[in-house]
Amino acid sequence: MTRKKAVARTLLLACCVLLLASPWGHAAKQLTDQTGRQVRVPDSPQRVVSLAPSLTECVFALEREDRLAGVSANSDHPPAASELPKVGTYVSPDLERIVSLEPDLCLATRDGNPVSLVRRLEELGVPVFALDSRDLEGVFDSLRLLGRILEAEQKAGELVRDLKQRIERVQQWVARAEHRPRVFYQIGTSPIVSAGSDTFIHELIRRAGGTNLAAGPKQYPRYSREEVLVLNPEIIIVSSMTGNRELTHKVRGMWSEFPGIEAVRSKRIHAVNADCLNRASPRLVRGLEILAHLLHPGLFQQAPPPECP
Amino acid sequence: MTDPASQQNTPLRRLGLISSGLFLLLGIVFLLALIWGSSGPKPLQVLSTLLGKDSSVAGTIIWQIRFPRALLAALVGAALGLGGLVFQALLRNPLAEPYILGISGGAAVGAILGMILGLSLCPGVAGLAFAGSMATLGLVLFISSGRKTLQETGLLLAGVMINAFCSSIIMFLISIVQTDRLHNVLYWLMGDLSGATTIQALALLGLLLPCFLLVFALARPMNLLLMGRDTARSLGVRVTETTLALLTTTSLMVSATVALSGLVGFVGLVIPHILRLLLGPDHRVLVPGCLLTGAAFLTGCDLLARTLPTQGEMPVGVVTALIGAPAFIILLYRSKA
Repeated sequence: MTRKKAVARTLLLACCVLLLASPWGHAAKQLTDQTGRQVRVPDSPQRVVSLAPSLTECVFALEREDRLAGVSANSDHPPAASELPKVGTYVSPDLERIVSLEPDLCLATRDGNPVSLVRRLEELGVPVFALDSRDLEGVFDSLRLLGRILEAEQKAGELVRDLKQRIERVQQWVARAEHRPRVFYQIGTSPIVSAGSDTFIHELIRRAGGTNLAAGPKQYPRYSREEVLVLNPEIIIVSSMTGNRELTHKVRGMWSEFPGIEAVRSKRIHAVNADCLNRASPRLVRGLEILAHLLHPGLFQQAPPPECP
Repeated sequence: MTDPASQQNTPLRRLGLISSGLFLLLGIVFLLALIWGSSGPKPLQVLSTLLGKDSSVAGTIIWQIRFPRALLAALVGAALGLGGLVFQALLRNPLAEPYILGISGGAAVGAILGMILGLSLCPGVAGLAFAGSMATLGLVLFISSGRKTLQETGLLLAGVMINAFCSSIIMFLISIVQTDRLHNVLYWLMGDLSGATTIQALALLGLLLPCFLLVFALARPMNLLLMGRDTARSLGVRVTETTLALLTTTSLMVSATVALSGLVGFVGLVIPHILRLLLGPDHRVLVPGCLLTGAAFLTGCDLLARTLPTQGEMPVGVVTALIGAPAFIILLYRSKA
């Protein structure tokens, strides 16, 4: 009797263990992230922590903000993102705060988020799905992938279609331009830094019908004033934080001594909110529209240059 | 008339008293470091996890995030405090600190190279940092060994020069590094404990414990060395061997800590001075004193670095200097009176 009972109990226990250990117990799927890692992503993630402002924007764009349990410190767009719990900046995330939010999934970017942190999170049992968007097409891939993870595939499809249409429209406009202006994209004043070929800015300038003067293998090359003078840009685009008129003023003052530069003579030094030019999010398309207006003002006479939201 | 037996006992009793007092301080700070963190205080959870009842997330945070970090901070602080004491005694120079022999410069060059190459923190960056500091130490010892058996000035000058040379290499590397990796490099240069894991902390403990014991055993010869090499020699100290043993032991432990935590400044310079002002010049008391105070100080500073900022974290090196420098100035001013 007792032996039978014991055997039955053991069997029952074994079944329970098997059930718990089986894939059905957890409802998760194995996915390959954009860095080639195998990640077990829950079928329906409910507590997602986004480790970069761009990823936060993507999740909001997919209308899955209700799944966000926490975001990186500089996630300021859309405004509702600022109200979510913060987990440290994206270059030095706060491990303890992330874990305390009990996430069932972390979204990371290959650029910026430290690999050591990703490893620690995995050791602590938090799956980390890394995204790596290198160009606009990459952003669309990321959006579709995020849509699949966050059960918003349809929304992702609509969003990507809409964004592609907007890009198409811009490119049809600028195709009519006879001239591709030489653009110098300037990040700081000392040192002067620009953006090379492997950046979103390069792609946006190209698609907006301009020539990026800093094109080259170096991602963020440095320039001396002398070199900029020799390049003789027709337009200088200054990357700035929102509404930073002071910086534009400063940059205009800095170049005003050099009327040899065409952009100085024709007063074509413009500030653009950097968030629309370097965050791997749907806002890049707005950045493209802004650049197209600044590069080819004659083609867009009917509408004022759009603002970066 | 005092009884000779009790006279013999006094230093020992003093050592016991001071050590246990400081040990208690370290214990309290360590407990606070477990209780407090960036996700808020968890006093009850610490109690329940200490009693063995592990409540999932709080338990993970306390044991796998806060504990290794507090342990690493304590070990690094202890090694730096002790390292500073040894170097100040050996070089008979009050401005000596654990990085004086070029350890910091060599380690930084190694670590930054590792970060530029995109290696992982451990073993990649830490390994290169360790190799860099060992290489510079070897170079310094080689340069100064030709002179009269490890003269203080020879060592000092060689160390300062190599550090200066390394810092220009660091500046060069920083100026060519990619913008997205620059942040890691700068954090490392300011000292950063945020990457601590239990395995790293335990490995460091295994390396440091024998070093601590060896330095403690050499406390009496260190007292005699302070009177000058010739006097020490006439009193039976094997000067060259002792100096070499102390130098390599301290350098080994300091470079191990640098490899794991970056350049945490100020602990090694200030802790020995503060304790010498408070406890007097006897190294038999100062060795455990610096070890425990350094540990408590850095654990406390790291606790502040973790909890004070509302966005992200501050490198611990910022806090050590912010607190250490004013504290030292106050003590210096009061000791004048």
